[in-house]
Amino acid sequence: MKTHVPDVGRGHRLVRGLGSRRSASSLLAWAVALVAAGITLPDIVGWALVDATWVAEDRAGCDPAGACWAFVVNRLPQFAFGFYPPEERWRAAVALAWPLVSLAIALGPGFRRRAAVVAAALAFYPPVAGLLLLGGLLGLPRVPTSQWGGMTMTVFVGTVAFVAAFPIGLGLALARRSSLPALRLLGTGFIEIWRGLPLIAVLFIAVVMVPLALPPGTELPRLVLALVGITLYTSSYLAEVFRGGLQSLGAGQGEAASALGFTYWSAQRYVVVPQALMAVVPGILNTVVALFKDTTYVLVVGLFDFLSIVSAAVADPRWLGLATEGYVFVGLVYWAFCFLLSRVSARIERDIGRGRERGRSA
Amino acid sequence: MTDVAVEVASLSKWFGTFLALDDVSLRVPRGCSTVLCGPSGSGKSTLLRCLNGLETWQEGEVRIAGTRVRSRPGDLVALRRRVGMVFQSFHLFPHLDVLANVSLPPRINLRLPRAEAEDRAHRLLAEVGMAELARMFPAQLSGGQKQRVAIARALAMEPQVLLFDEPTSALDPESVGEVLDVMTQLAEHGRTMVVVTHEMGFARRVCHEVVFLSDGRIVECAPADRFFSDPASDRARTFLGQVCR
Repeated sequence: MKTHVPDVGRGHRLVRGLGSRRSASSLLAWAVALVAAGITLPDIVGWALVDATWVAEDRAGCDPAGACWAFVVNRLPQFAFGFYPPEERWRAAVALAWPLVSLAIALGPGFRRRAAVVAAALAFYPPVAGLLLLGGLLGLPRVPTSQWGGMTMTVFVGTVAFVAAFPIGLGLALARRSSLPALRLLGTGFIEIWRGLPLIAVLFIAVVMVPLALPPGTELPRLVLALVGITLYTSSYLAEVFRGGLQSLGAGQGEAASALGFTYWSAQRYVVVPQALMAVVPGILNTVVALFKDTTYVLVVGLFDFLSIVSAAVADPRWLGLATEGYVFVGLVYWAFCFLLSRVSARIERDIGRGRERGRSA
Repeated sequence: MTDVAVEVASLSKWFGTFLALDDVSLRVPRGCSTVLCGPSGSGKSTLLRCLNGLETWQEGEVRIAGTRVRSRPGDLVALRRRVGMVFQSFHLFPHLDVLANVSLPPRINLRLPRAEAEDRAHRLLAEVGMAELARMFPAQLSGGQKQRVAIARALAMEPQVLLFDEPTSALDPESVGEVLDVMTQLAEHGRTMVVVTHEMGFARRVCHEVVFLSDGRIVECAPADRFFSDPASDRARTFLGQVCR
């Protein structure tokens, strides 16, 4: 709860603050910010809101003075679901909403075993959402991956890559710290190779070169190959984040666990890894935000993620010349999603802190 | 069953070229408490850590209750479930509360059902005077309280031998007593204990045997009352003169 600050105190602080140099520079910063806002905001608000057109059949129906949001509104289903067959869109909607609902649960009011519920929801996402989108069983018509796209594709690729990369990254981090030289070499080599490649190169290798190495006749959809590439790429980054957490622990915890008769694996599971993960929550979420934005690179291998589907729509003759609206919308959606992720990170950090706090007052 | 709880035969250990333990032999009978003492760098902590395989060595052998300590991981895990250890800086698990710190090892390593492991933890916490604080986290405890929880945690595995590695050296002077009281109680109940400590008063009052090390060698090994009243070696006499002022 915020407590009411009495006016007297605030006035006093202001008066006292005015005298200091720090307050002078803070006033200057405020002045610059206000002037900048005064110059830019009226134009932006005028374009984006006051003069904007929200409903129109095509470009000609839009007021040229303002933003033509009718374009975005018109194409919203396609932006969300790509070329997924319209009558099956509920499946794409479930796949799109699932991770968002999981994040909302993580941000919402707490309840018993919330962390476990969110973790289970994410862990089951790749197989269940994958089969739901693909269909071909339980009476669902098959929808080839080439028809998947839009925000659904972006969220699917991001979530699946994260969920799959998490255990792989943990394994790599443990391998890199192993006392067995061969394992350590393997872990270190894997991490350094994947971390040293640009993601675009990884995607090209996955989509162009991997099929050459597969036995003839096997054909994997490009989406699967791209997912494998992004997952391994992300796992090497997560591995280094996890390693930071493992190293922050010091030898004492592992020694204490050994001395109590824990096996290597149970010591990792119950003692070392939980502490290491708690220590690096901001780093993990940072990697997730980067991963989510990096999913846009799948367009180079011909997958229609959110960004590329908007790019395609911008080229539609009926709506020609509305690139600004399209990309502003893309930017807003990406920003909102990443902001949501950073709130989740802040929430987890606060909950960890509060767990200790609660213990303190007990 | 043999009556020798710990047997060390001709143990030698090098750190690089530095000889840390030089042909050390030692027997600790069941139910006895033995103190390892000596100047810093004399190898007493290293010797203690060899007893549960936290350190490896080059020559000689260690037997706990007749079973040889080997470096195979599976053997070490089995051994450590029978040998408890209390560290100088506690090493409690900070992400778990006191009750979980004590109940987790038997729950995971002895596959005890949760309720049974927690009953055992409550009983042991009561024994070390920490029953009231079972729901606290380690960060909220004083040093003495942490060390008492660490002792309860080591006891939760029902070990045959308890090792103490300078258990009071990281404590405020006023918490030393509460930890020593718990240890005294354990020794009086006939626990087999090997204690590295500088608390000579405790050693004299409570322990049966004193092993005095210097430069990686056992210089003197004697019953506690004789060691303190009439040390045989000059080095032990000098050491006692410095420590028991």
